[in-house]
Amino acid sequence: MRLLIHDLPEKWDEILRPKAEEVFRADGNYAPCQGCFGCWTKHPAQCFMKDKLQTICQKFGKADELIIVTENHYGSYSAAIKNVMDRTIGLSTPFMTYRKGLTHHTLRYGKKKKLTVYVYGDMTEDEKNTFRLLAECNAVNFGYREMELHFAASAEELEGVMA
Amino acid sequence: MKTIFVNCSPKKKMSVSGYLNTLAALGIKGEKVKEQVRNKGDHERVLSQIKEAEAVVFSMPLFVDSVPSHIMNFLADMEAFCLEKGLAPKVYVIANNGFIEGRQNKALMQVMQNFCKRSHLPFGGGIAVGGGVMLNVTRILFPIQCGLVVFSSLMNGLQTGNFMLREALLAFIELALVMTVLHCGVLFFGARLIKAINRRGECSVGYTRMMLPSFLFALVADIFFIIISIFGGGIFKGWLARKTEEQ
Ligand SMILES: Cc1cc2nc3c(=O)[nH]c(=O)nc-3n(C[C@H](O)[C@H](O)[C@H](O)COP(=O)(O)O)c2cc1C
Repeated sequence: MRLLIHDLPEKWDEILRPKAEEVFRADGNYAPCQGCFGCWTKHPAQCFMKDKLQTICQKFGKADELIIVTENHYGSYSAAIKNVMDRTIGLSTPFMTYRKGLTHHTLRYGKKKKLTVYVYGDMTEDEKNTFRLLAECNAVNFGYREMELHFAASAEELEGVMA
Repeated sequence: MKTIFVNCSPKKKMSVSGYLNTLAALGIKGEKVKEQVRNKGDHERVLSQIKEAEAVVFSMPLFVDSVPSHIMNFLADMEAFCLEKGLAPKVYVIANNGFIEGRQNKALMQVMQNFCKRSHLPFGGGIAVGGGVMLNVTRILFPIQCGLVVFSSLMNGLQTGNFMLREALLAFIELALVMTVLHCGVLFFGARLIKAINRRGECSVGYTRMMLPSFLFALVADIFFIIISIFGGGIFKGWLARKTEEQ
């Protein structure tokens, strides 16, 4: 199953629908992660905060392909997208392992097929380079076997880049 | 000379970021203000402090290989605020992460540098501490162990009249040595950063870690989380089960 998360206005839900079986719009209307690790130690893969993201780990866990559409913010994800990602650490277990020679956590839902990231908006060359590093790190951290990264100068140009 | 220390951890207490800020502040001259950004409600207060500061020290945890989401919101507000008011405090960054390699903070440091460029703020450098979570262990364990040395010396003295001061001193020196070795990277790069902040100067980003081999660190972390998960109850709720169905 493919899961797509994006931070664009609502009308984009329809445009992006053909790209994935499930489309999740990150509207930013939820709390940021409180860093308590309860999603490991108390109620695995669930958050104590009862909002739209309480069981987001399970949604992510079921998808073997993840597509992220995000605006560029300093070479990182927009706050709304990052908020969703920060709330998904329950995708892993607390146990340590090695991936690509670095310590990481073992994966509760196993390895995944592919992470694709579409970044739109005004971007400097440095920010592009930061995103290259960041998406690579994310793919290893969450256990995606493949990673693809695309840049679009604006939201309007996204459709062309995604075609 | 005013320096603002911004704790970027969402935790109300026992955050490693706050602890690192406290340690750094010990070496900083002039006026010091400690702030924390946990949500949007904190922005206005912290920005008004930044208005009068020459240096802003961000101390933050690494969240999913980058800057935590609530801080991304703050950075956007700070960019607009500094550009509008023509402010240019020097920005320093202290990062810490859960995994043992400090270099896993590289993307975070780049994001902060990109933020500085967008906001026309000078980036002064920083330090990234791998295995930063361990600082929460050592800061509790060290005083306890020192207490135990004193306690056993006292007990011995009261019972036998021999306080075994030589043994106690040796035990204390051993403890101090272990702590120094564990923290030598933090101490060295921390001192370098403090020197740079006091001069309002620059230093490169020092990537360091708790001085423990990674397999040992992994073992300690695993044991730690097993114990916490027994107390938290998570271990009885399908701790490792791969939940693929509707749960
Ligand atoms: C949502 C979340 C995501 C995290 N992601 C990472 C990560 O990608 N890499 C890492 O090394 N540590 C990661 N950590 C661990 C934190 O960086 C670590 O626990 C840090 O010491 C917390 O600092 P604090 O006490 O100041 O909040 C993550 C923690 C949380 C809560």
